[in-house]
Amino acid sequence: MAVDPVCKMTVEPAKAAAQSQYKGESYYFCAVGCKQKFDREPDKYLAGGGSPMSGH
Amino acid sequence: MAATERLTLAVRGMHCAACVGKVEGALRRVPGVENATVNLATERATVGFDAGRADVGALQSAVAAAGYELVEPPAPGVDTSEAEQAERDREQRRARLRFIAGAVLSAPLLLGGMADVFPWAPALLRDPWVQLVLATPVQFWVGGPFHRGFLRDLRHRSASMSTLVSLGTNAAYFFSLAVTLWPHAFRSVGAMPYYETSAVVITLVVLGRWLETRARGRTSEAIRRLVGLAPRTARVVRNGRDVDVATDAVLAGDLIRIRPGERIPVDGVIVEGASSVDESMLTGESLPVEKHVESPVVAGTVNGTGSFVFRGTRVGRDTTLARITRLVEEAQGSRAPIQRLADRVAAVFVPVVLVLAALTFAGWLAFGPEPRLLTALTTTVAVLVIACPCAMGLATPTAIMVATGKGAEHGILVKSAAALEVLHRVDTIVFDKTGTLTVGHAELTDVVVVGPGTEDDALALAAAAEQGSEHPLGEAIVRRAKERGLALPPVAEFTSVPGQGIDALAPDGRVLLGNRTLMDMRGIDVIAVEDRVAKLQAEGKTVVYLAFAGQMLALLAAADVMKPEAPAVVQRLKRLGLEGVMLTGDNRRTAEAIARQAGIERVIAEVLPEDKAGEIERLAIAGHRVAMVGDGVNDAPALARAEVGIAMGSGTDVAIEAADVTLMRGDLHGVVAAVDLSRKTIRVIKQNLIWAFGYNVVLIPVAAGLLYPVWGVLLSPMLAGAAMAFSSVSVVTNSLRLKRWRPDNEEESHGG
Repeated sequence: MAVDPVCKMTVEPAKAAAQSQYKGESYYFCAVGCKQKFDREPDKYLAGGGSPMSGH
Repeated sequence: MAATERLTLAVRGMHCAACVGKVEGALRRVPGVENATVNLATERATVGFDAGRADVGALQSAVAAAGYELVEPPAPGVDTSEAEQAERDREQRRARLRFIAGAVLSAPLLLGGMADVFPWAPALLRDPWVQLVLATPVQFWVGGPFHRGFLRDLRHRSASMSTLVSLGTNAAYFFSLAVTLWPHAFRSVGAMPYYETSAVVITLVVLGRWLETRARGRTSEAIRRLVGLAPRTARVVRNGRDVDVATDAVLAGDLIRIRPGERIPVDGVIVEGASSVDESMLTGESLPVEKHVESPVVAGTVNGTGSFVFRGTRVGRDTTLARITRLVEEAQGSRAPIQRLADRVAAVFVPVVLVLAALTFAGWLAFGPEPRLLTALTTTVAVLVIACPCAMGLATPTAIMVATGKGAEHGILVKSAAALEVLHRVDTIVFDKTGTLTVGHAELTDVVVVGPGTEDDALALAAAAEQGSEHPLGEAIVRRAKERGLALPPVAEFTSVPGQGIDALAPDGRVLLGNRTLMDMRGIDVIAVEDRVAKLQAEGKTVVYLAFAGQMLALLAAADVMKPEAPAVVQRLKRLGLEGVMLTGDNRRTAEAIARQAGIERVIAEVLPEDKAGEIERLAIAGHRVAMVGDGVNDAPALARAEVGIAMGSGTDVAIEAADVTLMRGDLHGVVAAVDLSRKTIRVIKQNLIWAFGYNVVLIPVAAGLLYPVWGVLLSPMLAGAAMAFSSVSVVTNSLRLKRWRPDNEEESHGG
């Protein structure tokens, strides 16, 4: 299971509504809105904690 | 806005081309009449008039004043045509009776009168009093209609064929009577009675008439066959009971029960039951069409093995069948420019012939050999009889009539005779793309799998996501999956993302199906498939991306595919010297992809609907003669603007109304067939005119005796009459040759 870095919800990667690549890592989101926020300022959400799930 | 009413009415009493002009003139002079055309072959007048200012009564009295009869407007449907047919049969029987009487009485006259040829003829037949007894009924009963026509023409100070026949035969008859009464005076100058001349002329002209009525009866069959498609009665459900009601009396809203094998009486919508219906007589589509509740049914089509109850929606003169019938009728009643030429010439012809006859008489009287009066009379009779313009009056209408009937039989409905005449000389055929060159809806063309799994897996997943989708592309995907019999994986939580696609959840992953934007929004990596996408798009295809569990799984491409016969049709047109052009509102890339496949070089793409007519006009200004083939509401203005508009029968009513020709089968080969039919028809009309004109022009000088001073050749009035009758017959027979016409590339046979 992965955690949405924006809203901190638990997300099943295969069923994630959206995903993003950042610095070689894959991030999964519960909704498109979270992905958009993340894509604008990825570092803000990554700095705020939460553990990225390694891709693939 | 004033309501313009359009009526097609039967006209009685017309015999010659000259009559046509008189009836038309009389109708046009009625206040409120906007246009009127009269067709001699069908004996019909088509009148457009302002219903507020004119009525049928006014039209009838105007026509009556001109010396003809305009028959009461038709009660709709079968009865009219049957009454007309009965009247036609009666007329035919009368003509036959007259001919037989004429032949029986003329034969002994011929024997007795031409004793040199028949030396064995009994002497009794040479007795002028016996001849008088035989000739009189022929002159006045068999020839009665001509004399009545002559008197009618005199009253209206006009002239027609009857004038010529009546003048010529009366001259011969009364001349003979004088010889019989005062034999000594006349015999002293060597004059002989010429009873046989007038009798045989009348008999032969009546024969021509009879054959004409037969030919006319036969060429009108197409309409009767169309009308006969609807059954006479319908089984209407009233108060829970089935009641047989005349088809004409069925009202919109009535419930009608149809049993297996029955014909459907009116148009409507099924409310109960299901069946398959054979609609081939209307559309040419040979496969029965499945019908269930809410399916439309059309009058004239044949029910299969099921039974159903339907609610009548369009009845009487509004059914599709009645409208098609009117299309054909209007085409048969409308007249083309080349025919007007024939009619104009005929109207001028009669007075010219009268003048020539007078000159002949005067010339022979002044310079002829003795007995001058006798030879002058004989040559004048010949001139008067030779010049009947009947064959000319029939040249165009018979050909057009046979051709439109034949066209209808092969699914080509020609709305106006003019279209049939103009179509032969078009050099450019403009095709609408969607629904005309193409099947008109998207078909799945490619499934390119880029992830794990097979093509079928990808298709099943996409179909599962698209279930219940009303998007045409989604429908194409679901249809294909069904065709392949794929089991669709269970999916839930469908979300349709407007402008992007569909988002759904399968048990082990999220399914995303949509465009590039959807993929971008969801962070799906599409770089690996970009080349493939570009290639598919270059082929004019619409591409959707299928992603599963965060990965690109497949590309699905769909396109409005070209009709399979399109390239062959474009090729055949090229061989006929016609250039194909594509006109479409679609983007250039899609349009060019289809054009390339079809073999069309010239593409006019990205045209707004309202500009289509403008593009046709531009082609016309550039010197092209343009026919437009289309099916949509947006094609209607272009169809009307083109010299000939051709609508696909599968198209909208609006397009069909605007077009001159309707191809009832969606098959493009019909375009080639229509051009071919037009060319063959024109050829026949020209031959007909040559027959009619040639014979008049060549024989008049002979009849007038111009060859006499050189070779001593004179045309006997008898030969003249025979030549005339056979010229009419040749024209009609030549037109009937069109009955053998078939489209070249008819793949399927009828009713198959």
